[in-house]
Amino acid sequence: MFKDLDPILHSQLRLSIVSILMTVDEANFSFIKESTNAAAGNISIQIKKLQKAGYIKVEKSFKNNYPNTSISITRKGIKAFEDYVNNLKKYIEPK
Amino acid sequence: MDKTSFTPEESLLLISKTIEETKERFKENGHILIVWGCLIFIVVSSQYVLSLVGLYKKFDIAWTNILYSIGVIYTLIYTRREVKKNMPLTVLGITVGTMGWVVGLNFFILAVFFGNQLGNALAPIFLILFAFFLIMIGVLIKFKPIAIGGFILNLIGFATFLVHPNYYGLSLMLGAVVGFIIPGILLNITRRKDNV
Repeated sequence: MFKDLDPILHSQLRLSIVSILMTVDEANFSFIKESTNAAAGNISIQIKKLQKAGYIKVEKSFKNNYPNTSISITRKGIKAFEDYVNNLKKYIEPK
Repeated sequence: MDKTSFTPEESLLLISKTIEETKERFKENGHILIVWGCLIFIVVSSQYVLSLVGLYKKFDIAWTNILYSIGVIYTLIYTRREVKKNMPLTVLGITVGTMGWVVGLNFFILAVFFGNQLGNALAPIFLILFAFFLIMIGVLIKFKPIAIGGFILNLIGFATFLVHPNYYGLSLMLGAVVGFIIPGILLNITRRKDNV
């Protein structure tokens, strides 16, 4: 329907995840889950898609003996987000 | 929540709502400022009471160390609890946190290792050091009362050099109220209003 819009970002959950990561330098999986109110399985799938596209970087480690997944946005992700927002503006304010 | 057929308007709304909600979650609430303001006030006022009952020389150092140690332990526990809430890393959070610990540690080193050389000058130096920290926090988190409180604290710090050392305690108490407690309470009230 909206041809210029990046299909990777034009999904509510993926867009929410990227918007969160645009605000912070690094967030863990639990923060994203609490912020989006989405199911863990669904978030995992969307994170994998974003990671595959090179938009986010995922690092798994242990924090206080518990597994911790840190997620941050990449330069490519920032550029894609900026392009996506600019394209959205074109749809909203057509010349 | 994996809708892909939403309009550009809905999309922009989602972006701005998510960014706004994320920022809201890690805003400072002034709690630590109030705690440290009260602690400084209690330490200095209790030293005054100790001096009135003639116990100042015996207990002042132990009393001060116990209270400030409680402050450090409380700050560590509070910070750890915040980290456990899965709070994300932000440049602002890291900057404010690091500055707080660096300023606190510098003052601790000055007081413990150079206290004798500095003597009474330690009180105004303390005020100036923390004034710098508060001005920076106020500017970074864009909250004017903290920056103004820090600026007034800075002035109190320099003015303290001009008064008799007997009044240094009063300067510290005034500084605690103006620089820490009032801005901390104002920040706390603002954040509570934001969350309504």
